[in-house]
Amino acid sequence: MHRDWADIWGGGVLALLGAGVAVHAGLTLDFGTLRAMGPGFFPTVLGALLAVLGAAVAIPAWGRMAETPHIAWGDAAAVIAAILIFGLGMNRLGILLACFAAVLIASVPAPHSGWRWRILLAACVTGLVWLVFIAGLRMTIPILPRLP
Amino acid sequence: MTAWEGLAHGFNVALQPDVLAYCLLGVTLGTFIGVLPGIGAMAAISLLLPITFYISPEAALVMLAGVYYGAQYGGAVASILLRLPGTPQSAVTTLDGYPMAQQGRAGVALFVSMVSSFAGSMLGIVVLVVLAGWLSEAATAFRSAEYAAMMVLGLVAASTIGSDRPAKAFAMVTLGLILGCVGTDVNSGAQRFTFGIPELMDGINLVALAMGLFGVAEVIGNIRNAERHAAPERVTFRQMMPSRDDLKRMPAATLRGTALGSFFGALPGTGSTLSSFLSYAVERRVARHPERFGKGAVEGVAGPEAANNAAAITAFVPTLTLGIPGDPIMALMLGALVIHGIQPGPEMLTARPDMFWGLVVSFGIGNLLLLILNLPLIGIWVSMLRIPFRYLYPAILIFVCLGVYSVRGSAFDIATVAVVGLCGYLLALARFSPALLLLGFVLGPLIETHLRRAMLISRGDPMVFLERPIACAFVIASVLLIGLSIFQNLRRR
Repeated sequence: MHRDWADIWGGGVLALLGAGVAVHAGLTLDFGTLRAMGPGFFPTVLGALLAVLGAAVAIPAWGRMAETPHIAWGDAAAVIAAILIFGLGMNRLGILLACFAAVLIASVPAPHSGWRWRILLAACVTGLVWLVFIAGLRMTIPILPRLP
Repeated sequence: MTAWEGLAHGFNVALQPDVLAYCLLGVTLGTFIGVLPGIGAMAAISLLLPITFYISPEAALVMLAGVYYGAQYGGAVASILLRLPGTPQSAVTTLDGYPMAQQGRAGVALFVSMVSSFAGSMLGIVVLVVLAGWLSEAATAFRSAEYAAMMVLGLVAASTIGSDRPAKAFAMVTLGLILGCVGTDVNSGAQRFTFGIPELMDGINLVALAMGLFGVAEVIGNIRNAERHAAPERVTFRQMMPSRDDLKRMPAATLRGTALGSFFGALPGTGSTLSSFLSYAVERRVARHPERFGKGAVEGVAGPEAANNAAAITAFVPTLTLGIPGDPIMALMLGALVIHGIQPGPEMLTARPDMFWGLVVSFGIGNLLLLILNLPLIGIWVSMLRIPFRYLYPAILIFVCLGVYSVRGSAFDIATVAVVGLCGYLLALARFSPALLLLGFVLGPLIETHLRRAMLISRGDPMVFLERPIACAFVIASVLLIGLSIFQNLRRR
């Protein structure tokens, strides 16, 4: 058992975010009056509210014990990397190559060893994507890599 | 139009071949998604949202709704067989469903859950018709002050009722409201938090946000956890026959569950998860031998399953008659309607009877399909649970990306999904509710518009919220809920 780090971090980050939002909105957007509220009214009030709520979560958590959840950074990194490679690479690498690479990367943290099933899975998903989105729905995405 | 004429009209719409086909597709897909632990109805609906651009609004809504209540049926399967809730709504079903499975009565538990779900839905439809008619008449008197106050009450109810840490819940709602501000301010044209990025001028994409928070975040959290379970036992149709004792215990529990579910489902902000928990608590309270609960009591499956299905149906009441989504799933449904240029409101029943009555009748047809399909096909659904998650999640990620991309062909939205997915994973891990964030996000712009309009009309006098009786009632209810939760929190220490 440790301090309730989940709430301390969560509340703390939210409080800072809220304060940032309130300050940014207060400085750059017109607050207006109660009768004619400007674009800054809602964000400023909400930012301040979030700062208070974040503090209300974080401060009592300091004196409380709780299990600290385990963050699977590796799993998260693989999933995010796969999405970014697919999304940003799609138009340059072509959908087939981007999809194959993304599935391979996404499958890295799966709790099952061996490479053969990963490559087979990537090939199957790529085939399915071609069938559904290119042949079926006729989405206009480059299929093969664009040559320079 | 009377209810009978409406229903006749609804049959005309819902029995059109394409609408019927999308209904079947929706409920089958919903059951599939519900059976698989790790992806919920939320993710499935966000995945299907892009497809709805290509079909009629009636068919789109019928399909998405089918996914929603289909997932309620499917969610019970994994809860009973593996003690892994397929959807949050069916979490309670694990408490008595899994012990029943351990006693070799898995088939009976599945039968009870499906029949109760069906009964709950069918009675829920009746409640929906009655409440919608009544509410859309009452709501013609609603002005901006009432709408704003009602939505605030919805957010307050969602964050306080059934939440053990209201401060965290409110923080999530507030964060959602702030994210809803991003983009061009409708009244003044000012850019808010866009930081010069053109893709943000229309605001954060709802589909990208929902897919990140639910699809991607759930995948990250489940890569390791979803494979830790043993393969489920086979279940055949014959094993599903309940004993006479089971049949005697079921009806009362189902009816109580339905009543609770219909009521809480129709309240904005509370929804089906809460009603299934409440139903379980009630069944335990009224039982002559409460010690049976947790050891395989039939009522503990029948009540909550009826409750969450009834709630899934009546949740459409505020969405369709007021244009106010009561839970995040309804928010997505509303999003789908708005994409088609339909803004639900009190005129919905008279102005678009096709939509309303077609949907009502499709609920009936869809639930009948689910019952007919699922009883004999249960073996297939159970074998779905044998597919390892590692074969599914990479494909889910690719479909998420392409789904988001297809909305407006923007790679920026895919990057948004990645960022939101990581944040959503961390938030869920720290037990901050992403569902409340999405609820705030969808209601935010509506609340702001109505609040600004109400204040403009009252010439800046905030007393308008207390002088108008209906708005005042909403404000008082909100204040009471907040007061009650603060009181409970202080007493706990």
